[in-house]
Amino acid sequence: MSGTTINLERAETSRLAQAKPFFQKYGLYVFLVLLILIAVSTSPQFLAPRNIQNLLTEGAPLGMAALGQTFVILTAGLDLSVGSLMSSVAVIATSIAPDNVMILPIFLIAIAFGALVGFVNGWLVTKRKVSPFLATLATMIVLQGLRFAWTKGAPLSGHLPPGFRVLGTGTLLSIPVNLWALGFLILVFAIVLYRTTYGRKLYLVGGNPRAAFLSGIHADRVIIAAYMICAVLASIAGLFLVGYVGSVDNWVGKGYELDSIAAVMMGGASFKGGKGGIFGSLAGVLVLIVIYNLVLLLGFPIQTQLVVKGLVIILAASFYLTRGD
Amino acid sequence: MSEAFKKVVSKIDPSIGIVSGLVLLLVIAGFFVSDRFGTTQNLLNILENSVSLGLASMGQTLVILTGGIDLSIGGIISLTSCLTSGVINGNSSLMFPVIAGVLLLGIAIGALNGVLIVRLGVHPLIVTLGMSMVLQGVTLMYTLEPPGAMPLSWDLVAYGKLLGVPVAPLVMVLIFIAMWAFLKKARLGRYIFAVGGNAEAARLSGIRQNRVVVFVYTACGFFATLTGLYLVSRMGIGDPRIGGYYMLSSITPVVVGGTILAGGKGGVIGTLIGVYLIIVLRNLLNFMDITSFYQWIIEGVIIIVAVSFYVERKKV
Repeated sequence: MSGTTINLERAETSRLAQAKPFFQKYGLYVFLVLLILIAVSTSPQFLAPRNIQNLLTEGAPLGMAALGQTFVILTAGLDLSVGSLMSSVAVIATSIAPDNVMILPIFLIAIAFGALVGFVNGWLVTKRKVSPFLATLATMIVLQGLRFAWTKGAPLSGHLPPGFRVLGTGTLLSIPVNLWALGFLILVFAIVLYRTTYGRKLYLVGGNPRAAFLSGIHADRVIIAAYMICAVLASIAGLFLVGYVGSVDNWVGKGYELDSIAAVMMGGASFKGGKGGIFGSLAGVLVLIVIYNLVLLLGFPIQTQLVVKGLVIILAASFYLTRGD
Repeated sequence: MSEAFKKVVSKIDPSIGIVSGLVLLLVIAGFFVSDRFGTTQNLLNILENSVSLGLASMGQTLVILTGGIDLSIGGIISLTSCLTSGVINGNSSLMFPVIAGVLLLGIAIGALNGVLIVRLGVHPLIVTLGMSMVLQGVTLMYTLEPPGAMPLSWDLVAYGKLLGVPVAPLVMVLIFIAMWAFLKKARLGRYIFAVGGNAEAARLSGIRQNRVVVFVYTACGFFATLTGLYLVSRMGIGDPRIGGYYMLSSITPVVVGGTILAGGKGGVIGTLIGVYLIIVLRNLLNFMDITSFYQWIIEGVIIIVAVSFYVERKKV
C-alpha cells in the first residue's frame, strides 16, 4: 500500500513541477472571457436574463455529456457512442407510459442501460484490446441500428411524461432545472475525481500507465469504470435533452459525441491521457454554447455556427501545447 | 507445397487472409441466398458501389498509417461535389477549369490539415474535426439544396465502359495497386510506415516527419476530392450533405483490412478487400430484405469482431 502512496505523490509533484506558463494554463478561460466581452459588446441582448437562461438551459445536456467524456479521455481513450446513446435513451423514454409516475423508473432504466453500454465499451477496450475509437464507434453504430430497428425509423410522436418538459425547460428559483441537475452532477463527480482514491488512480492510469501498473492498480477496472461513468452521464444527458427538445426523433443526440470531445480537448485534456479536468471541460462547453448563442443573436445564418465552431475548436486546442509535446 | 509458395504465403499479412476469407464466405453465401446474386448485373453493381468508398478509404489509409486520422474527408466531399455542379451549372466549357480548380482546392485543404497538425501540434482528430465543421458549414452557406447541373458528358466518369467493362471500378483498383507499389518501393512510401511505426526512430534516422505528415493529409484531400467528383458523376449533381456518411465510414474498411489506428502497420490492399467486404455484405443483406437498420448492427459487430482478432495495440 505504501508503494501506491509514494507513486501517487510522485505523480502529483511531477504534475506540479511542470506547471505551465499562465497563458497555457488559463488560455481557455481568457478566451472565454474575450468571447463573452465580444458577445456583450456586439449584442446588447446577450446579457439579458432571459438569454442567459436560454443559453444555459440549452447547454446543460452538453455539460453533462462533457463531464462524462472527461473521465474517459483522462484514461487516454475517447467515447464516440455518447450521442448515439443519448438518442437511444430518448427513444426508451418515449417507449414507456407517458405518466409522471414513470419518470423515476425511466431514469433508473436509462442509467442501467447506460451502465451496460459503458461496460461493453470498457470491456472491449481493456479485455479485447480494441482501440477506444473503434470500440465506441462500433457501439455507436450498433446502438443506432437497434434504435432504428425498434422505431422502424419513424420519428416518435413524443409521448413523454409531462414532467420531462419541466426537467428540460423549467426553472427553479429562476435557475433552469437542468442546470441544478448539472450542478449536482458536477459536485458529485468533482468529488469522485479530486477527492477519492479512484480519481487519483484515474489520473495515474491515464498519465503514467507504467507507474500505475507497478503500484498494483487494476488499470482495467479503473478504465471500465470510466467508460461506465461516461455512459451513465450520457444517458442522463439524453433524458434532459429529450425534455428540452420535447419530441424525439432518432437523431436527437447526434453531434454530442464530437462536441463533448471538442469541449474536453479545449479544456486542456490530451488524447495521451492523464491531463485535463472537469472545470476545463465545462469552460470548453461554455465556449461552444456562447458561440451558438452569439451567432443566433447576431442574426447570422445558422450554418455560420459550424464554421465558427470549427475554427474555435482548432484555435482553442492549440493553446495547450508545449512545443515538441 | 513448394518452398517458394510457402514463403509467399508467410509474407501475406494474416489480417488480409482473414478479411479475404470473409469476402469469399460472403460470396459463397450469396449464391445460396439469391439466384440474382451471381448475375453479371449484380457483379457490376457491386463493383460500381465500391468506387466511392474505395477512393475515400484510400486517403484515410495513408493517414492512419502515420498514426493520424482524417475526419474532414466528408466535408471535402460535400464541398467539392457542390462546387463542381454548382459552378459548372450545365456549362460544358467551364467543366475542365472548374474540375481542375476543385482538385487544387481539395489538395490545398488537405495540405492545410497537415500544416495545422504539424505547426500547431494539435491532435489530428481535433484539427480535422474542426476542419470538417468549417467545410460543412461553408458548404451549407453556399447551398442547402443540390446545386446546378453537370454536362451529360461527365456521366462517362461513373458510367463509362470499355469493351463492356466499367472503367471507374477498374481505375479504382489500379489506383490501389499503384499506391501499394508506392508504399512498398518509393522512399516516401516507406517513410509513411516509419513515421507511424516509431516516430522517434524515424526522427533519429533523419526522416523529415513533418513533410511526411503534410504529404499524407494532402493526398487524403486529393482522394476525397476524387470521391466528390465521382459522386457528382454518379448522381449528376452535387449534394451538400452527401459527405457526412464518409466521415466515419471511410475508416471501417481501413481497420477491417488490418491497418491499425496506432499507425505503422497495415496497407492499402487490406483496405481494398475491406471495401469489398462491406459492399458485398450490404449487397447480400439487401437480397435478404434486411433493412439498413439491421445492417448497421451487423457493421458494428463486424468492426469489433475483425479488430479484436488483430493485435490492435502495439504500445502499452
